[in-house]
Amino acid sequence: MEDAQQAHVAFFLTGRRPADQLDAVDGLNLRPALFARYRTLTELRYDFPLVLADGGSGEPFAESLSGLVDAALSGLSGSETERARKHVLRLEQEIRKLVAGGAGGTLTTLWDKAADALGRGTDKALEDSLKRARKGIKLDGELTDCDEAMPARLIRHGWSSVQQHKAAAFGKNIAKLNLKLAEILRSDFESSAAGRSAKNLRESVGSAHDDTFDFAAMSRMLSTSLPKNAFPESRRRRISQLLDVLGSQRFFPLPDASGNGKGAKAYEFFFDSCAAALVALRERMPRVVELARAIAIAELEIDGQYNEARHDALFEQFGANGMDPQDLAPFPDYLICMNTAKLQAAEHAQLMEILSSGLPIKVLLQTDDILKESAIGEGNLTSGMRSRQIANMAMGLNEVYVLQSSASNLARFRDRILRGLAYRGPALFSVFSGASGKASGLSAYLTSAAAMESRAFPAFAYDPSAGPNWASRFYLDANPQVDLDWPVQAFDYEDEDHQSVSQDLAFTLVDFLACDRRYSKHLARVPRAKWNGSMIAVDESLTGEKRGLPEKVPCLLMVDADNSLQKVIVDDRLIREARRCREMWHSLQELGGVHNSHAETLLAREKKAWEERMHQEVESHPQASAVAAPAPAPAAAAPAASAAAVPPATAAPASAKAPAPAPVEAEPEKSPDDAYIETPRCSTCNECTQLNDKMFAYNENKQAYIANVEAGTYAQLVEAAESCQVSIIHPGKPRNPKEPGLEALLKRAELFQ
Amino acid sequence: MNMMSATDCLLQMCDEQFDLEDYQSGVPRWCTGCGDNAILTAVQRLCRDEGLRPEKTVFVSGIGCSSRFPHYMKTYGFHGIHGRALPVAEGVKMSRPDLNVFVNTGDGDCCSIGAAHWIHALRYNMNITVFLHDNQIYGLTKKQASPTSPIGTKSNTTPRGSYLEALNPLTVTLGVQNVSFVAQVVDWVPEVLFDVVKAAFHHRGLSFVRIVQRCPEWLPKSLDPWLHDPQRLLFLNHEKGLQASEGLSRLYKNQIIHDPSDLSRARDIASSIDPIPVGILYRNPEVPCYEDLRNSGMLRTTAMAKSGLNAEFDKFTVWPEAEQAQAA
Ligand SMILES: Cc1ncc(C[n+]2csc(CCOP(=O)(O)OP(=O)(O)O)c2C)c(N)n1
Ligand code: SF4
Ligand code: SF4
Ligand SMILES: [Mg+2]
Repeated sequence: MEDAQQAHVAFFLTGRRPADQLDAVDGLNLRPALFARYRTLTELRYDFPLVLADGGSGEPFAESLSGLVDAALSGLSGSETERARKHVLRLEQEIRKLVAGGAGGTLTTLWDKAADALGRGTDKALEDSLKRARKGIKLDGELTDCDEAMPARLIRHGWSSVQQHKAAAFGKNIAKLNLKLAEILRSDFESSAAGRSAKNLRESVGSAHDDTFDFAAMSRMLSTSLPKNAFPESRRRRISQLLDVLGSQRFFPLPDASGNGKGAKAYEFFFDSCAAALVALRERMPRVVELARAIAIAELEIDGQYNEARHDALFEQFGANGMDPQDLAPFPDYLICMNTAKLQAAEHAQLMEILSSGLPIKVLLQTDDILKESAIGEGNLTSGMRSRQIANMAMGLNEVYVLQSSASNLARFRDRILRGLAYRGPALFSVFSGASGKASGLSAYLTSAAAMESRAFPAFAYDPSAGPNWASRFYLDANPQVDLDWPVQAFDYEDEDHQSVSQDLAFTLVDFLACDRRYSKHLARVPRAKWNGSMIAVDESLTGEKRGLPEKVPCLLMVDADNSLQKVIVDDRLIREARRCREMWHSLQELGGVHNSHAETLLAREKKAWEERMHQEVESHPQASAVAAPAPAPAAAAPAASAAAVPPATAAPASAKAPAPAPVEAEPEKSPDDAYIETPRCSTCNECTQLNDKMFAYNENKQAYIANVEAGTYAQLVEAAESCQVSIIHPGKPRNPKEPGLEALLKRAELFQ
Repeated sequence: MNMMSATDCLLQMCDEQFDLEDYQSGVPRWCTGCGDNAILTAVQRLCRDEGLRPEKTVFVSGIGCSSRFPHYMKTYGFHGIHGRALPVAEGVKMSRPDLNVFVNTGDGDCCSIGAAHWIHALRYNMNITVFLHDNQIYGLTKKQASPTSPIGTKSNTTPRGSYLEALNPLTVTLGVQNVSFVAQVVDWVPEVLFDVVKAAFHHRGLSFVRIVQRCPEWLPKSLDPWLHDPQRLLFLNHEKGLQASEGLSRLYKNQIIHDPSDLSRARDIASSIDPIPVGILYRNPEVPCYEDLRNSGMLRTTAMAKSGLNAEFDKFTVWPEAEQAQAA
């Protein structure tokens, strides 16, 4: 082994770097080669800044600036479209710069600021372009960059918009209930003695007609002529109580029952710790039960269905077993925004309590640094590991909506965030902000994007309401190239001879770690003169577990501040981390149905069984035909394979045993001597029943039958048969042979027998 | 997943049981043998079987023998103006969409004086169940030809027989935009009458049921050929419509399969006068209801009702001169 290579291997194994062979990377400002084009983010168009939309119904709660600009540009037509496009893209870039520089405000204010900075006052063409494009942007709101504060701002903003919708629906319902209950009380009053008093009548008609009306006479008349149907006192009391409960609710800020101003001050539902949220929750639970019960009773009252005998006892018990999520759905959701850095043991336990409560509490758990090592040292949980572990546990609870994502991906996860916020149970949003990158000179956006790209912090969502199984609930596809261990991208560069070269590079955990200055001791730059063929890509070095002294050393392609290519070897510590990270990624892949081991085992087994069956079938075929030969072979001789392939021949005996089809309901045989009516065909015409309502009567469906044939004469039977519109009365034979005129009657009856 | 919450269950635990008598009111003044009696029975059975709460149910009618229907139902009712049952019913439905609204109308009421309302009610497609009691004559006013009287019908207004081909209410209905449910039945087959009434009630939208109804008083024999020959009824069967029972099929053997979503075939079938098609001709549950399209979701508070009324009254109010002077 040459010197240089020996030094490389030694560094790989021990992290010891001989200064004459290898350079330290500190101060070199190196970045993974794939980052070369992301040096100045403000020049790129990407998902940030985001506009947190003020919210009209039907609008998304957040939209990226570039998305809005694209939509506005696609709506442009007419002359100078290309010019306008260039102007607007310049403006977009200017806004991005302002926001990255810390400027805050709404899209409108920043648009104007940027337009002024570009010189709109003096450039007519620019002004015209911007004016035209601005018309295509219908939405406004605060802008936010992808910084440390963004995840909480975004989630809280989405949560607020969900709560606003809830408040509107809730308010509408309460207003309806209030109005209807008040109307019930008023109608009760109108029919009471006080309601019918001359005084009240005068007041309701108005003073303009004082001379024309005698209200005392009117009162006397109403009091004597109209029924007095005042409510029982218990009902009046119940309705007043309902009105009290509805009017004093504090869950949403609503105008009070009288419509004057605001009611009692509404509760706060936003918290920065689990402990505080739990205290509030417990305190308010009895009020939730009381209000939900009042709403249910009010609905019954309004519908005129409240029955004291039946409902009093039922409502006594209301909420005794807790409230189910559907009953809680109209109430506000709690939102807790917290940071893993502050997650002490007690808070951790409370978080788990909240997540397993089934209650509509939404939690943002933000992690700013996923690489900080725990105090116990290597092999113990970093804060990144901790948040990943909480997300996994939450998924294990089955009824928690779980979303894990880097901040950079949150804009893309907008709809999934909303789904989690609207979900009827608890939701956990675990977000890596990327803020730790600042110490290494990288933006939060780039750091968080790299964490996701390198599988250090994969994005996924678990939605228990999406279906009964993992396939429908779990979503992993937001990650780049999900079926690979590491995403691979083409990297183009120019070599020393100015020839352009394209090479596929995997972005691994080690690339992500290499961005962080705290890991620089695990890296060493190889001077160009010492480059040799035994340096291999990290992903390649991870593919096989090698024993003994390594011959090849893992190496990263990096670029320096001038974008010139550098090769950096890494030590084994980082490779071990990468292996661990890959294993965790594999577990997620399995959950997401990618390279699922159960599915693959099953597939292999089925394939093998199928192959064996095919094989046996081919072999047993001559035998099978022998069985089919004229001489019937005993059943035992039938080859097992064909018995398995063909369903056992039990069909015949089974069908023999099957119950015979239900016999068609035979019409009861009527003796031609008996009188009868084909009742189901009776059209209720009243002919027969008017003739003799003792003899003919209606059944429960108001169709005629012969109730008592003795109750009338044969003559009546014949007459009924003749007048029956649908000729379904059959007179039969006369019962009294002495009835006069029988001969003629029998002749007439013949037609109806 | 659409499970019921505990509260929903609680709210539904108040279903009451009703009997036919709970819907009967007074003794019908119709002639003995009148087909209206059969319709009344079928509708009362529907109310009982569906447990329709009388205080949540309204029957609206115009003028005619058939329009006396609401008097015989122990529910809310509105015996209105000749030809105007439909607009009244639409008003009821518009302000109280929670009510079950039915309309009973005669061939004179609906197809003659009320024809314009009929066409527009179909297009508005509000969730109302309409029964056209078609006895092919003005019954109440003692025998004048109606638009549906068969050509040659002798009546007090057409003593030498009517001159025009009868109007076919089914083809008219099926020609109107937004039509969503059309069925036909005869009053003398109670089982099918009930099934059709029930299907019409369950359709969301305007369900139009033409009932061929006998008037033994003024046209005693005119429907006899159909009454006495089961072959002259054509039963429309379909898994998505009605299926004739076995008992029925023994008597009425003339049956075809007809898919009620097929509008052009429904129009073909509707044109047949003999045999009389019986069953559901057309059904389209997708047509939107006007009351849904126009639902603003606004609460009708007393203040709102008052200001609306005042605005209307103000159009007609004449103030005494003295007050006018004062106001000025
Ligand atoms: C505006 C007006 N025009 C005419 C009449 C007279 N009129 C009362 S009932 C009726 C016809 C009823 O026929 P139909 O609607 O077929 O009902 P039927 O009696 O046959 O059930 C007429 C013309 C009236 N009541 N009001
Ligand atoms: S006469 Fe015939 S149709 Fe009329 S009620 Fe009696 S059985 Fe029924
Ligand atoms: S006149 Fe005709 S429609 Fe009217 S009640 Fe008598 S039979 Fe019935
Ligand atoms: Mg008529």
